[in-house]
Amino acid sequence: MTPAIIRYGLIFALVLSLQAGTASALTRTEVEKHLICSACPGEALNIDRCSGGDSMRAEIDRRLARGQDLQTILDFFVGQFGEDILTVPPRKGFNLVAWAAPFVILLIGLAVATIFIHRWNAAGRRETSGRDRPGAPPDPALRRRVEEELDRMEDAT
Amino acid sequence: MNMVLLGNLSLAAAFAASLLAMMLLLTGLMRNDLRCIESGRRFLAGVAVFTSMAALALSRLFMTDAFQVEYVASYSDRALPLFYKATSFWAGQKGSLLFWAWVLSLYIALVTWNTRRETRQKNTPYIYLVLAAILGFFLLLLNTVSSPFTLLSFTPPDGQGLNPMLQNPGMIFHPPTLFLGYIGFTIPFAYAVAAMISGRLDPGWLRKTRRWNILSWIFLTIGIILGGQWAYVELGWGGFWAWDPVENASFIPWLVSTAFIHTAIIQERRNIMRVWNMALIVLTFLTCIFGTYLVRSGVLQSVHDFGATGLGGFFLVFLLVTGIGSTILIAESYSQLRTRHSLESLLSRESTFLFNNVILLAIAFSTLFGTVFPLISEMVTGRKLTVGEPFFNQVNTPLFLLLLLLTGLCPLIGWRRASADNLKKNFLFPATLAIAGAMVLFGTGVREFYPLAAFSLALFVSATILGEFAAGARARKRLTGENLLVALPRVLWKLRRRYGGYVVHFGMVLMVIGITGATAFKQEKEATLQRGEAMTIGDYRLRYTDFRSFQDRNRTVYAATLDVTRQGRPAGRMTTERRYYINAEQPTTEVSLRISAREDLYLTMPTIGSNNEITIRAAINPLLVWGWVGGGLMVLGGIMAIIPSRRRRPTP
Repeated sequence: MTPAIIRYGLIFALVLSLQAGTASALTRTEVEKHLICSACPGEALNIDRCSGGDSMRAEIDRRLARGQDLQTILDFFVGQFGEDILTVPPRKGFNLVAWAAPFVILLIGLAVATIFIHRWNAAGRRETSGRDRPGAPPDPALRRRVEEELDRMEDAT
Repeated sequence: MNMVLLGNLSLAAAFAASLLAMMLLLTGLMRNDLRCIESGRRFLAGVAVFTSMAALALSRLFMTDAFQVEYVASYSDRALPLFYKATSFWAGQKGSLLFWAWVLSLYIALVTWNTRRETRQKNTPYIYLVLAAILGFFLLLLNTVSSPFTLLSFTPPDGQGLNPMLQNPGMIFHPPTLFLGYIGFTIPFAYAVAAMISGRLDPGWLRKTRRWNILSWIFLTIGIILGGQWAYVELGWGGFWAWDPVENASFIPWLVSTAFIHTAIIQERRNIMRVWNMALIVLTFLTCIFGTYLVRSGVLQSVHDFGATGLGGFFLVFLLVTGIGSTILIAESYSQLRTRHSLESLLSRESTFLFNNVILLAIAFSTLFGTVFPLISEMVTGRKLTVGEPFFNQVNTPLFLLLLLLTGLCPLIGWRRASADNLKKNFLFPATLAIAGAMVLFGTGVREFYPLAAFSLALFVSATILGEFAAGARARKRLTGENLLVALPRVLWKLRRRYGGYVVHFGMVLMVIGITGATAFKQEKEATLQRGEAMTIGDYRLRYTDFRSFQDRNRTVYAATLDVTRQGRPAGRMTTERRYYINAEQPTTEVSLRISAREDLYLTMPTIGSNNEITIRAAINPLLVWGWVGGGLMVLGGIMAIIPSRRRRPTP
């Protein structure tokens, strides 16, 4: 069964890669996502369909046809309308808080979780050693029965 | 019968009944009087009768074009098809609020019925009291500042009609399913608060609310998926999720409730993480209310055009009172909730669940923080920024990949303790498959890190899930001697709670594949065509063959037909439309879709020229259909997990 799964997995990966082979260059939508419609404050250009947005879209098309990259096109619009035209806060000043906060929170969360797991594990070890100390090593038959019972419990959930 | 009068009276009676229920319950608790508690229970259940009458009255007003009612005149007109007239009920915020109160009262009636023999238990009256207070809040709003039965000073000849964008089956079911999810989490929240007030902190409340949690999660999932589907097929911008504040408002409780559902399993099994679970269910409820506050307050600009409804302040106060009250309760119950935690090993399923919680909450935080950052920025710097899709994609994508990795690792690691041998044995095949897949993809041109990582991890997780399915089927075969094909469905059904979870995970994998395919490998092109001209995109050639206009009920339709060939072979005909609705200022574009397992061909017609020349916007969204299939599987897995098992009769 395993070789068959590997075979099908590889075929699946190949199908994905065929799709990937058509990976596109910078599209207008990709640029639009980074910009706000100048006529509709707060609305991303890729969703907006107003005539004010049409002139921005035409400008993007012209610049894409000239082969400009995303940053160059965005810089042009920032020059025209200021940084408020962007949907992505530039990575500077107070905006850095927006970029950093999620990862800081993640790191703190992971650190706290790790500390808790270590503490719980230490408590578990203490309990085990406390139980084992007075008597002889656990009976292998008893241990096997406990393991089987735990397996059954796991199957039931 | 005068439906406006009936509606107003019903709402007033519902509010009075909820107040009376609260008073009786409080009296019963103070005097320890069971009769008062029982009466309070009955009054609370009775609220559902009055809210149902109010809901019926509003429906009848819509069906009879009663445009003297301001709410009906705002969201309906004579030309609106009957189906949409019936569902305009929740098109605006006043009707949504009535829908909310109505469903909540029905849920509460169900709870009071299920607990009718438990009124003597210490926590039950508190459950009723919390539920009555929350229901009372919604009924207060409906009776004072947000009544859907308010009359205009004149009767207009016709209504303003329903927003054409909302005249779509997906949008019709998207709000109520989201509401069913939001409202459902009120029940476990009430049980949790009651457990803390009464001091009955055993895992009983968790067991009793498990199905409510998962059912609410299922509704929230359906609501989010339907919203994405609607955006995809109706808005015409080619995407399905824009990280709009209102979308985020539904996604945050989904993330928090997903975290809660995972750690609730640990508490049920091990009776640990009790403080954490209490905090999570409170957070789930608060994020549901916060989402409603965001939608109703108008503090953030959103494509969802609710604007400032005047209800923001009420929801903010409710949010603060609930948040502060719950925090105090958790703090006061801390010593009782705290248990001695012990883990046999650092590497166990419990620890992976905890890390999974951290990542889910980190995604919830980044989504929340990004959503409210414009407000924070305005307060600090005086400038109100816009935080849009690329920000959320850049911040959340690595977090989602981490989550996907953990989803794969989790089944490989046993409860309590994972032995190195076992881990090696379980890990080898999925890891090999993922690495081989990554190499094949890399070798054939996928060089970007995120798509490569997403597809490889999708293979890894799929392999671990398939491994679990295969192990279950083999174990049953060993026990019963059944054929593997017979053993597999039987083991899935028998252990449906466990395998339902894996089906949800597999659905998530498919969703990752669909989203990655459609975002990383999307192709698009726009061209203006005269009749007879053609454009190409990818393997497709689209030839503009026909144009017609016609009147269809409440709209004038302009339709262009294109013959499609793929790699030179005919691949059908596609028709895309622009619709001009009566009572609507802006026309809408109707998307034409050709869906296959490989890719979607997506066409819209943004403009029509004076000589019927058309501008066609075409896009190819690879693999997207798998995202929708994945969403369906997530719902199916959730349903599997809540189907009750037949109770075993005790052996004599």
